[in-house]
Amino acid sequence: MIKASLRGLLQRKLRLSLALIAIVLSVGFLAGSLVLSDTLNARFGSLFSTINANVAVVVQPKDPQAVDPVRLTDDQLRTLSEVDGVRAVSPDVSAQGVIPFRSDDGEPVSADAMLGFGVDGKDDPLGLVELREGSWPQAADEVTVTAYTAELARVKRGDSLKVYVPVLNEPRTFKVVGVAGYSGGRDSLAGESVVMFQQAYAQETFYGATGRYAGASFAADEGVSDTVLKQRIAEKLPSGFKALTGEESSEEQSAQIGVVFDFIKYILIGFAVLAAVVGVFLIFNTFNIIVAQRTRELALLRALGASWGQVAGSVLLEALVVSVLGATLGLAIGAGLGAWVEHMLIGEFELPSAGIIVKPITVVLAYALGVLVTLIAAFVPAVRASSVPPVAAMRDVVRPDKSLVALSVVGAVLAVPGLALVLTGALADMGGTAFLVLLAGAVLLFVGTLLLSPLLARPLVRGLGALIGRGSAGKLGVRNAVRNPRRTAVTAAAIIIGVTVIGTAATVVQSFKTSLEDIMGDSIGVEVMIQASVTAAPDGRQGFNPKALDQVRAIPGVKEAAAWHFDALNVSVANQPSAFGIFATDVGQASRMFPMDAVDGSIRTLAAQELVVDDNTAETLKLKAGDRTPVVIGGVTRDYTVVGVYKTTPIILGILVGLPAVEDFPGPLAFQGFVSLNEGVDAAPVVAQIEKIMKDYPGVQVGDRQSYVEQATASYDLLLTAVEWLLIVALVIAVLGILNTLLLSIVERTRELGLVRAVGLSRGGLVWMVTVESVLITVFGVALGLALGVGLGAAFTKALITIEFASVIAIPWLDLLQYLAIAVVAGIAAAVLPARIAARLNVLEAISYE
Amino acid sequence: MTPAAAPPLTRQRVETAAARATGLWKVYGTGEAQVIALRGVDVELERGRFTAIMGPSGSGKSTLMHCLAGLDAVSRGQVHVGDTELTGLNDAGLTRLRREKIGFIFQQFNLLPTLTAEENILLPLAIAGRKPDQQWFRTVIDTVGLGDRLGHRPSQLSGGQQQRVACARALVSRPEVIFADEPTGNLDSRSGAEVLGFLRRSVTEYGQTIVMVTHDANAAAYADRVVFLADGQLVAELTQPTPESVLDTLKSLDRVAPAGAEH
Repeated sequence: MIKASLRGLLQRKLRLSLALIAIVLSVGFLAGSLVLSDTLNARFGSLFSTINANVAVVVQPKDPQAVDPVRLTDDQLRTLSEVDGVRAVSPDVSAQGVIPFRSDDGEPVSADAMLGFGVDGKDDPLGLVELREGSWPQAADEVTVTAYTAELARVKRGDSLKVYVPVLNEPRTFKVVGVAGYSGGRDSLAGESVVMFQQAYAQETFYGATGRYAGASFAADEGVSDTVLKQRIAEKLPSGFKALTGEESSEEQSAQIGVVFDFIKYILIGFAVLAAVVGVFLIFNTFNIIVAQRTRELALLRALGASWGQVAGSVLLEALVVSVLGATLGLAIGAGLGAWVEHMLIGEFELPSAGIIVKPITVVLAYALGVLVTLIAAFVPAVRASSVPPVAAMRDVVRPDKSLVALSVVGAVLAVPGLALVLTGALADMGGTAFLVLLAGAVLLFVGTLLLSPLLARPLVRGLGALIGRGSAGKLGVRNAVRNPRRTAVTAAAIIIGVTVIGTAATVVQSFKTSLEDIMGDSIGVEVMIQASVTAAPDGRQGFNPKALDQVRAIPGVKEAAAWHFDALNVSVANQPSAFGIFATDVGQASRMFPMDAVDGSIRTLAAQELVVDDNTAETLKLKAGDRTPVVIGGVTRDYTVVGVYKTTPIILGILVGLPAVEDFPGPLAFQGFVSLNEGVDAAPVVAQIEKIMKDYPGVQVGDRQSYVEQATASYDLLLTAVEWLLIVALVIAVLGILNTLLLSIVERTRELGLVRAVGLSRGGLVWMVTVESVLITVFGVALGLALGVGLGAAFTKALITIEFASVIAIPWLDLLQYLAIAVVAGIAAAVLPARIAARLNVLEAISYE
Repeated sequence: MTPAAAPPLTRQRVETAAARATGLWKVYGTGEAQVIALRGVDVELERGRFTAIMGPSGSGKSTLMHCLAGLDAVSRGQVHVGDTELTGLNDAGLTRLRREKIGFIFQQFNLLPTLTAEENILLPLAIAGRKPDQQWFRTVIDTVGLGDRLGHRPSQLSGGQQQRVACARALVSRPEVIFADEPTGNLDSRSGAEVLGFLRRSVTEYGQTIVMVTHDANAAAYADRVVFLADGQLVAELTQPTPESVLDTLKSLDRVAPAGAEH
């Protein structure tokens, strides 16, 4: 019995290889995601083990992200270094965002990390950094750089080097007195730039006073284990600090870095999930087809005494073999994919790879996914196989298509309330809950429509067929496509899923963009905008000095220039953490540049301890004009008066305070600047001039209004691109599914094909007939998916309009047409092989078949 | 219960029925589309004998066999195979019955194309998880004359050889009764004669019970007894038939057929 099923497996290679590809894709993406993150972690792990090679214990603040982190004093450091078993200590005086400028063109260098250290003029007691030439910095205007930094900035010993020091918030010029490298002759550990200052100067600059340290690393005496030293140091630790062994520190650091790449992991997992969902349909169809083709064989087995369990088991065994094979291939391809993406991500890094890491859990998950997906998909076909009556071995048993009534009723029971929920969410003014209602409705409507799709297949495909089903061959193709609506619908399901997702995303993104452009075009008085690096910590410590705007105001043609400060760290209003942070600006000026209609109180330039708020946030926080409420900025709590409430728009929302509040911000730098111009002034030369002024502030971008719109929608475009890739994955699987169905139709209808050829249909006519069937299935899927996707997208946008995030529903017709065109091409591609097989059919053999 | 362990069937047990139908009705479809295939058939098929069921197309002969073999559910009446009553057996019961008491030979699609002749012959035993009796297996192989063809796939065998493999497969588990559905329908007369001769020998020499549906008078003449069906009813019977007597009976049936069609 097992032998019979396994031999049969080999006979159905082509058909099963289609199911195999679906499994390989799904497992491949999952394994790729896991291998990617493990390989990344291993690479960073090896970096931090190098850094911590001689480090037994690391002491650092418990909360390094705090606005004003605790520092070690000289006395505290001495106490710790006198702990029994400490061989050497390396205190930590460091800052990030210390950016050297190139000596030749004056541009800031770009490196994977930009660090500044304070060094005490002696060699590194832990032996990680070695002086190669010159000396350590001895004076406040001297620096030593690593060889890699010297190369990046194109400087050598004796040159002067301009360095942007973040806490000073401006560049200073230093003299390069030495060049250093790492032990083992490496110029950099991971492509980072390093500027080393005199320690006292660094302490004063970074921490505001000499004799302060962010932490320290300790080396242990011979025979003292890391854990023992950690315990001893922990006993003497000042409050607010924690001690880690070198190994623990390495793990913590590499985990922190790994998080940066998480989004790629999630995209790959998204692909895996989609491929799995769509794959279930393909595998389901494949096994259904196999069972249908094997009816006689299964009946024979039943007549010879096989129980229904044995027959169902033989189908499941076949599925299991295919899934294990698919998972194995998927795992191998996934490992390659993960390694490739990892290389793409950090190939530029000067960080040696630690090899491709495939953990046991990756292997387990890969096989679990492959086997689970396949067995779920093969379950119904297996049950169907077991219900083949033994008498079918002797005569054709007509097993009529099961009625669509039950399926359609269930579909309607899901779809109708789903539609009601979607409409409620879109049309009723429900605030934030609208999205939950919408999402629940969307899921119900989607699943319901999938179940209803066999019922919809007949009229829809007929309608579409009237358009393309020209000639008698075309008409036959249309008839064939509606012959088995269940099969047509299951085949199209992969396309419906993919197109619905992309249709929704495209509509929402397009609506959002159009809304933004409308508002910007109509009511914004801003022509040029200045933007701090979006990766900068939004707390006023990175950005540009607002004084630089004085120079901007002096440019001919500039009407006004406004500085916006932003703090998103540890701010709260009315005792609630403020998710969108707090902006500080001249609100009077802002109301001239942006649409800010007062709905309560007044919108004017604010004095200290005054704020304005948008009406949505006001409602959430229960604030109205005249209220007093506690506001925390930079760790300082003050009572603020609500001066006014303005109408929310997609570009201005949240809590705004006056410029006096910047005193409380962790840093004095502005996050954004907006510039308005006099009537008829060309923006381009102004942008160029402002760029020159901002050159000293690394990471600051200057652009015109269009670039602002682009930036605001950039993240949505990224999302859309990811969704477009999802569509492609879905289409690939869908093409396999159509191929599958068409191949089956041809086998089933061999006699029929022979007959139409015998009565005079040409070879080309036969090809056209098969192509029409394929394109109809595809277009049916796309049409249903687009209708559903655009509808859901419009509903989501309507809800966005209700909460003032968007103003119009815009349907991206051009994109949708593209998707349709791609789908038609996919449909034609899927028909190529089956059409060739059909065309090659020998007429005589076909009609004398059996 | 296990035929493999039982002694070969002998002529002494001829009196007991191997299969029996009582008041058998079979109705397909409902309303306008209703077709009555069998109308109250009573028939007893003796053990150790070769019985042929004959009749014109649409007479219900195949339906009768399917019902006797437990392949098709009956509408009314009872069917026994040996001392087991089929009516009322569930799927598991019918499966066990097929494994232990029934063998089949079909007109076509008898063999799994992926298995060798030997594997096809042993398939029923493999399905039931039983070990073949080697001596009996050799006997069967020698009788059908397939010794040098055991490793061949069905596609490498002629139609007659394929059908002899099917006969061997039916015999090897020594079932209570073998049902053969037009076993020579697709064969030329020489191959047909070989297969029929082999079936005859297995009845004569080994006491096997065989029930065969056929519309070929020459084939029916190999049987010990022929029962004739017309319009779903048992209308005639012959023992020790010859091709001539079978043809004569069929001719007389043709004359009564128009009357039967008025039902």
